[in-house]
Amino acid sequence: MDLIHNLAFGFEHALTWQNLMYCAIGCVVGTLVGLLPGLGPLSTISLLLPLTYSIPTDGSIIMLAGIYYGAQYGDSVSAITMKIPHASSIVACIDGYQMTLNGKTGLALFTAGISSFIGGTVAILVLATLAPTLGEVALLFGPADYCALMLLGFVCVSFVTTGSMLNGLAMTLIGVLLGLVGTDVNSGVPRFTMDFSFLADGVGLISVALGCFGIAEIVKNLDGGGEQTPFNGEIKLMPTWPEFKRIIPSALRGSVIGSVLGLLPGGGPVIAQFAAYAVDKRFSKYKDEMGQGAIEGVAGQAAADEAAARTSFIPLMSIGIPENAVMALMMAAFIVKGVQPGPNMIANHPDLFWGLVASMWVGNCFLVILNVPLVRYWLSVFKIPFSVLFPAILFFCCIGTFSINNNLDDVYITATFGFIGYMFMRLGLEAAPLMLGFILGPMLEEYFRRQLLISRGDFTSFLTRPISGSLLALIGLFIVWQLVSFLRQVKRTPQVQ
Amino acid sequence: MKNMNLVRGLFLTIISLMFGITSMTYSIGKFGKAGPGMFPLLVSGMLLVIGVATIIGAYYKPPVPISYNFKNIAVVLLGLCGFAVISQFLNMIFGIFFLVFCSAFAAKSFTVVRNIKISVCLVAVAFGFKYLLGLNLPLI
Repeated sequence: MDLIHNLAFGFEHALTWQNLMYCAIGCVVGTLVGLLPGLGPLSTISLLLPLTYSIPTDGSIIMLAGIYYGAQYGDSVSAITMKIPHASSIVACIDGYQMTLNGKTGLALFTAGISSFIGGTVAILVLATLAPTLGEVALLFGPADYCALMLLGFVCVSFVTTGSMLNGLAMTLIGVLLGLVGTDVNSGVPRFTMDFSFLADGVGLISVALGCFGIAEIVKNLDGGGEQTPFNGEIKLMPTWPEFKRIIPSALRGSVIGSVLGLLPGGGPVIAQFAAYAVDKRFSKYKDEMGQGAIEGVAGQAAADEAAARTSFIPLMSIGIPENAVMALMMAAFIVKGVQPGPNMIANHPDLFWGLVASMWVGNCFLVILNVPLVRYWLSVFKIPFSVLFPAILFFCCIGTFSINNNLDDVYITATFGFIGYMFMRLGLEAAPLMLGFILGPMLEEYFRRQLLISRGDFTSFLTRPISGSLLALIGLFIVWQLVSFLRQVKRTPQVQ
Repeated sequence: MKNMNLVRGLFLTIISLMFGITSMTYSIGKFGKAGPGMFPLLVSGMLLVIGVATIIGAYYKPPVPISYNFKNIAVVLLGLCGFAVISQFLNMIFGIFFLVFCSAFAAKSFTVVRNIKISVCLVAVAFGFKYLLGLNLPLI
């Protein structure tokens, strides 16, 4: 009963005309800015933060949350239509872009929107019921557990890649190595910087994403003749009933995975989309279509990403710990408005807490309502011939890269990764696992070294902790399973021939 | 060298050696107190194993040809680098014009009027970013 009472209290605040307006403005502006290549949720929120200064506290937080969800959706639009992702939409590039190539852009965008809605709704229920206690789960995780969790994420890669498992693992390892470029935080030693001062802070995520996905994809299109856009002019938005039936289970699976993994600091939301995709690839009825434009490939990851984005608020609001850069920015916004996130937040500011929880759902509704009619306009971009469109995409890539640090050196890094990404593409190596390794690599190293320091170099300490031991056992099972399926396939092949 | 599997293996091996050899120049330390070189050395070691396995595997698989067109990637990269250089030493408006005109060489058709139109539109968008979103673009 408490839950219903609290949610009713939240909706009472979220559904005032003023807050509805702020939420709608946040969603629309966030989507528009998020659509631009390279501008993900983090840069969108930081760019639009000043808009909220003159707005009352609850309205400004609700608007920021709206900007966050809008930017995430906008990000997935650019990933699906142009294969230009940010961290939150890397997996959308695989089947989402493939759907675009198959002439199903509208359906992919609708699926992303509706699955995000499902993911968001499940996560909000988790948030509303468990926020006060669930945040403490993150505190149970030690360095060994985080290492094991990240390794599990890497193993998920073997399911994500469409080609060989070895290629996927190789790309993950390359991603880890690229993530290590820059100053070592423990010793202060600059690593792999080739004495370039601009590499001291490491390589930017945006540069790698835009280079390996965006620029490489543009050049691939140009290589293939390049005058046609992938969009075929037809706008089929609504799924048929059989298609809709495929979306629901996948979105629900993704929602559960995202809700759990979103709680964990660092790479939780990133692992969530890969994990959801891996689960769909293994358990979906249509697993054979994954990687070739399967609707599940968009639905599961979109729901997981959205659910993880919602539950990542839990550690911030219940224990006052921001678990990623976006949450750190949200925390700053809370503090600017005189609200200290933490255990007392629910008691001291119930209107703000429950209002925000309710506005998350309202924001989800806005995104679905606004984006269903707006998809037509997003797609109209593709009526422009590719020869006109691609210089504009390159321009947005440059602006997106430059605006992160106001540094033109980042454009050179993006160009370098454009070349590397092109090489990878031509060698049949997928870039998605590289991004996972790149994001998790530095964290993996930090936790790995910390655990070895704590255990004085004892590797068995990774196995003796209950959480890490279980996760490592799960990884072992995955590997054995993969090997057995591989050996069975090898045995079967000569008989077929 | 037209076998994609073999080139892929060589590519992975070269990357692993580049990172592995460089990481040996940093302090490796002990497991109890790992130096900055240990983790990258471990990771590049694993990558080396995969690279060598790919090379060996390439001899047992039928060769797959590689398709590439270095002209397009070179033109696009030149456009991006030129944009950065010109934006740094002149201003971003000229940088945008260079980016559009240079990258247009990768397209099938090249029209001066069309490129001018695209450039003018993108300059207008850049001004919008600067004055509406507050991006710090060196336009003038």
